Amino acid sequence: MSTATASTLSHGTATSLPPARKPRPVAEFLSTYVFSKDHKVIGLQFLFSTLLWFLIGGLLALAVRWQIAWPWSDVPVLGKLFAQQGGQMAPEFYTMLFTMHATVMIFLVIIPILAGAFGNFLIPLMIGADDMAFPTLNMLSYWFMWPAFLLFGASFFVEGGAASSGWTSYPPLSTNVNSAPGSGWGQTLWLLGLTMVGVSSMLGSVNYMTTIILMRAPGMTMFRLPMTIWAMFITAVLQAFALPVLTAAGFMQLTDRMIGTGFFTPEGNVVNNSLASTGGGQPLLWQHLFWFYSHPAVYIMILPAMGMVSDILTTFARKPLFGYRPMVYSIAGIAGLGFIVWGHHMFMSGMNPALGITFMVSTMMIALPSAVKTFNWLGTVWGGRIQFTTSMLFALSFVSMFIIGGLSGIFMAATPVDIFIHDTYFIVAHFHYVLFAGTAMGVWAAIYFWFPKMFGRTMNEFWGKVHFFLTFIFLNGTFFTMHILGAVGFPRRLADAYHYETFHHLQPLNAFMTYCAIGMVASQIIFAANFFWSMFFGPIAGRNPWNSNTLEWSAPSPPGHGNFDFQPVVYRGPYEYSVPGVEKGHLMQTDPPNALATAAAAAH
Amino acid sequence: MGSRLGGIFWSLIFLAVPVLGVATFAIAPSYNIWLPKNVSEHGSSIDGLFYFILALTGVVFIATEGLLFWFIWKYDAAKAKGPATYIHGSHTLEVVWTIIPAATLLFLAIYQMNTWADVKMRRPAMAPTVEVVARQFEWRLRYPGRDGMLGTRDDLFLTNDLHLPVDEDILIQLKSMDVLHSFFLPNFRIKQDAVPGMKIPVWFKAKETGQFDIVCAELCGWGHYKMKGRVTIESRADFDRWLEETYARQEATQPAPEDTVAAAAD
Amino acid sequence: MNASAISLPHGHDGHSHSHDDGHHDGHGHHGPVLQYQPGLPLSRGKLIMWLFLSTEIMFFAALLGSYVVLRFGAPVWPKPHHVHLSEPIGAFNTFVLICSSVTIVLALESARANKAGQAKLWMLLTLLLGTLFLGVKGYEYQAKFSHGIFPQSPRSRIYEKPDLYYGSAVRARLGDPVIIDKLKELDDTPADKLTAEQVSARARLQQIRKMVASPEQQAFDLAVVADQVMPLPTEGPGGSHAGDGGGHGGHASGLNDIFPWLKLPAVIPGGNMWASTYFLLTGFHAIHVLVGLIVFTILLGYKLGPKDAGKIENAGLYWHFVDLVWIFLFPLLYLF
Ligand code: HEA
Ligand code: HEA
Ligand code: CUA
Ligand SMILES: [Cu+2]
Repeated sequence: MSTATASTLSHGTATSLPPARKPRPVAEFLSTYVFSKDHKVIGLQFLFSTLLWFLIGGLLALAVRWQIAWPWSDVPVLGKLFAQQGGQMAPEFYTMLFTMHATVMIFLVIIPILAGAFGNFLIPLMIGADDMAFPTLNMLSYWFMWPAFLLFGASFFVEGGAASSGWTSYPPLSTNVNSAPGSGWGQTLWLLGLTMVGVSSMLGSVNYMTTIILMRAPGMTMFRLPMTIWAMFITAVLQAFALPVLTAAGFMQLTDRMIGTGFFTPEGNVVNNSLASTGGGQPLLWQHLFWFYSHPAVYIMILPAMGMVSDILTTFARKPLFGYRPMVYSIAGIAGLGFIVWGHHMFMSGMNPALGITFMVSTMMIALPSAVKTFNWLGTVWGGRIQFTTSMLFALSFVSMFIIGGLSGIFMAATPVDIFIHDTYFIVAHFHYVLFAGTAMGVWAAIYFWFPKMFGRTMNEFWGKVHFFLTFIFLNGTFFTMHILGAVGFPRRLADAYHYETFHHLQPLNAFMTYCAIGMVASQIIFAANFFWSMFFGPIAGRNPWNSNTLEWSAPSPPGHGNFDFQPVVYRGPYEYSVPGVEKGHLMQTDPPNALATAAAAAH
Repeated sequence: MGSRLGGIFWSLIFLAVPVLGVATFAIAPSYNIWLPKNVSEHGSSIDGLFYFILALTGVVFIATEGLLFWFIWKYDAAKAKGPATYIHGSHTLEVVWTIIPAATLLFLAIYQMNTWADVKMRRPAMAPTVEVVARQFEWRLRYPGRDGMLGTRDDLFLTNDLHLPVDEDILIQLKSMDVLHSFFLPNFRIKQDAVPGMKIPVWFKAKETGQFDIVCAELCGWGHYKMKGRVTIESRADFDRWLEETYARQEATQPAPEDTVAAAAD
Repeated sequence: MNASAISLPHGHDGHSHSHDDGHHDGHGHHGPVLQYQPGLPLSRGKLIMWLFLSTEIMFFAALLGSYVVLRFGAPVWPKPHHVHLSEPIGAFNTFVLICSSVTIVLALESARANKAGQAKLWMLLTLLLGTLFLGVKGYEYQAKFSHGIFPQSPRSRIYEKPDLYYGSAVRARLGDPVIIDKLKELDDTPADKLTAEQVSARARLQQIRKMVASPEQQAFDLAVVADQVMPLPTEGPGGSHAGDGGGHGGHASGLNDIFPWLKLPAVIPGGNMWASTYFLLTGFHAIHVLVGLIVFTILLGYKLGPKDAGKIENAGLYWHFVDLVWIFLFPLLYLF
């Protein structure tokens, strides 16, 4: 594997070169920026689309928070647009809000921004390839997102509104058209949109795997890959094996709704005073199929961030990654174990409690590889020379926040405790810590870090730090308090819980959280301004503004078509920082060994 | 990049995480933002487990966040002298920090099993005290009446107003007519989804009398938020009296439902 | 922020003859043709095909898993004969598909041996066998449809048990104006224009109509009606239907078979869920067959010489997979 023969090397890139085109201005523009097959352009297309949806998802979250803090009070702006009763939210509108908030955030933001934007942009660059193995397929994987964007987007405007049975879409609520006002076209469009996201991810994942297996630069053995690539690789494996199950299940739910196959409807189901026309199915079957995908999916939503954070931490701690191989094995461990823990979402579902015990044990075990990762990050920071760039601050906060989100997972993994906290805000706290405070912070770290490679300019550090500071404060204000809210048993997905004696004193706390959420969303204006301003007016970055080691930093910023203006050859692992005896302190993967000798000689 | 002051500032921000985190948990009980009063027999072992995990994760939390702060503080490039330590890892450390959490988690996994079995697996051998049928958006209750059997002519029907005797084993038969619901009694540390097509037993023993909330904890449609019931725990004597009175009221206001109708609801 | 702290091992020289193919990229860089160190001795096309097939395995695994769960969770499940599945037809189709897997291999061999003409023939044969499979499948579907077995809302013509809902469905069907006319026509047909079987069936049908028309619906046994409409044959030779009063067990000609236009609702316990899963599994399989056929048609447009062997091989891999899925489906659906 490590020594490439001349014959294997020579079979080459000819297949992946885009066809020749005549340079006509409009066609040129279209082929460069719209129907581009260049992985970098596709990556940026994903980035811009997902950031836009991030904003939408954030605004939906604000509407959710508004209702929880001040139930049935007039909603500013949104209320005028949508709600029926003079600006006041209807309860079914609330169910739609959090369903679509989660759907947008998960399927249109986090998954595509990690795999689609960063996966696309970084994989060929970091392994020394000129593009993906199948550029056309790659382009299609972006264009399959558009039907999804349109279907989800359109569903807000159909009769009855968008899907409103939670992002988990549990039947019979989701399959029986009589069961909810929003259960008309909205739910059907939701299922179709999901299928499109599925096709997109599937096209992407097989392409990524092929590229990483076959198109690494000479000398780039598997164990010299940067953690980002390892994470993307294993994420692609997860997607390829878990997603088809959701696609199958989604289709079954679709036929249940459209033609009444009844897979998930029990016999004799009476909804809204009318007997369901079909039956004989099992509601729990959907939950099994859904979580068989969606548990691995939560790792799809964090592994790439973990990989990117590892690379950023080492760069700005100026230190080799602590325990490279354990880090790789733990990603693989998380992915492997991730397939056998799905039942921990179903402890209270009526599933056999004995089965619950086996899921509990496997869930406990999945904390182990995460523990290994956490300790190795700490080991990486230890003894480093930390440079407080915005990117580093976000990366450090990823570690800090992931610990919180992970530890709350232990409470829920403990089945008896889950009896009390299941479907309360404790869960909501847990997954916002891993998803928002974890992954989204990791994504920001990555944006600040690779922005120079994407646009050839660096983002403004001062405003970046202001953005970090405000986001960090407000996010903890919003989400940390959810833990204690959950400890009271405050249920999730309730439009108004204050009429319960147990919960009526919790409104002020919720109002506080909503203020923080407003602050959090408002802080993003700074980010958006910084982002767009820097794209055009930021200081020009050279090839390697952070003195980092991996291959992409030896290419021009931004890299041209074909990425490299030389043949990259890899001589070492990606984390050679603060190498003793090397004057510039770090050794890029492409620095030839004789550079080490000369540098060592120069040092004496 | 970054002055010395910057490093101090950012380290303190990261120190604030464990400090404020612990503080939040410490003061929450005094604002009554904490576990609601427990009145069931098994609830104390669930709470005990909660506190145990809180302590365990609390230690891990303070230790890891503390270390993170300390490293950020100490290894600020603007402050620390010389280059970073050139080290690629430590085999011993990897083994240690795999084995210790593994042992801890395995212990936790085994330690909690008994409680789980008590609440969900060791069903008391008795006839159901009451049948609870969830429906959009109410709790329909059916008591077996004098003959102690469900599905007979003297069944007692009620909605949302559950009465149960104190200090006795209670077995609820949980069903749903339409979609998923979840029978959540915060003060009893009881939660169980109601699944159409399934009969799921739920059991517990109340330690105290009083009135408590029944919450629906599984999204069941637009009215999910208002699917509220009340459970009244009373002495056996009070309970029997209430049963008699309610039964008499039912007899007076409506003819006894046919057996067939009752059976059809099964 | 020093940009130049990089040493370029090969600089701009070396391999930079590269892809000057007239394409003009936005940044004006023209890199060399890059060399790689492949981790597996496979072409890109073949590797991605294998990976794609592994996602397909998970897809069908989910469907098959659901089938198993639904089937063993169901209180009753119909025997293959209750739902008019014929093992010989299924076995024949299995055979057809296996043959087509052989012919595609032969096409590949011929292409590799530079016998393009032969390769075309084998490919055409594969296409024909695949089409034959779909044709047989279509015939089988037609048989199900004509017995009212299909998943549809509100209900197909299949009922779980002969209950009140069933009774009213029968009454509704018999009250349909179109059927009333047809029935009148049947009543008026002289007996010598009908076969013996039809005559006796007509008598039984008249009895049922009388029963259904009578106001006391409890007075007759809907189970008997169901049995007349579509008797459920028992397994094994010479066996007769349990609780069978009419003496016509064993052979499955109920009223619906004798008078196909009648389309009376029938009782098949577990039949609806059976239909849902049957059409789900075989439907997705058929879609995959169809995709294969489209691929073969496209391939027929190529020369099919050694240069196209890679394409044939990938198509063949896919086709073997589709074949394999059927090898699982056939026993699950037809034999158990
Ligand atoms: C990126 C997303 C992500 C990640 C990484 C995780 C990680 C984990 N999750 Fe989470 N989870 C979600 C996203 C995620 N989850 C979502 C979205 C839901 C809700 C879905 C819904 O219902 O809508 C959910 C729900 C959920 C449930 C269901 C709760 C319920 O509905 O009742 C459970 C139960 O076990 C659980 C457990 C865990 C565990 C044990 C981990 C572990 O992997 C965490 C491991 C990490 C650590 C433990 C921290 C670091 C380790 C150390 C510092 C070492 C020392 C530690 C010890 C010795 C304890 N999660
Ligand atoms: C990745 C996933 C993700 C993310 C990021 C978020 C982000 C947020 N969520 Fe999310 N949430 C979920 C996933 C997520 N959520 C899920 C899965 C559920 C469960 C749903 C269910 O029950 O079915 C849920 C439910 C949920 C609830 C519970 C509702 C209920 O149960 O009743 C609440 C309540 O407070 C909430 C609040 C928030 C808030 C305030 C944010 C904030 O963090 C949002 C902040 C947003 C921004 C900061 C926007 C930033 C914008 C940009 C960066 C764009 C910049 C633009 C350019 C450069 C062009 N969410
Ligand atoms: Cu019933 Cu929610
Ligand atoms: Cu999970």
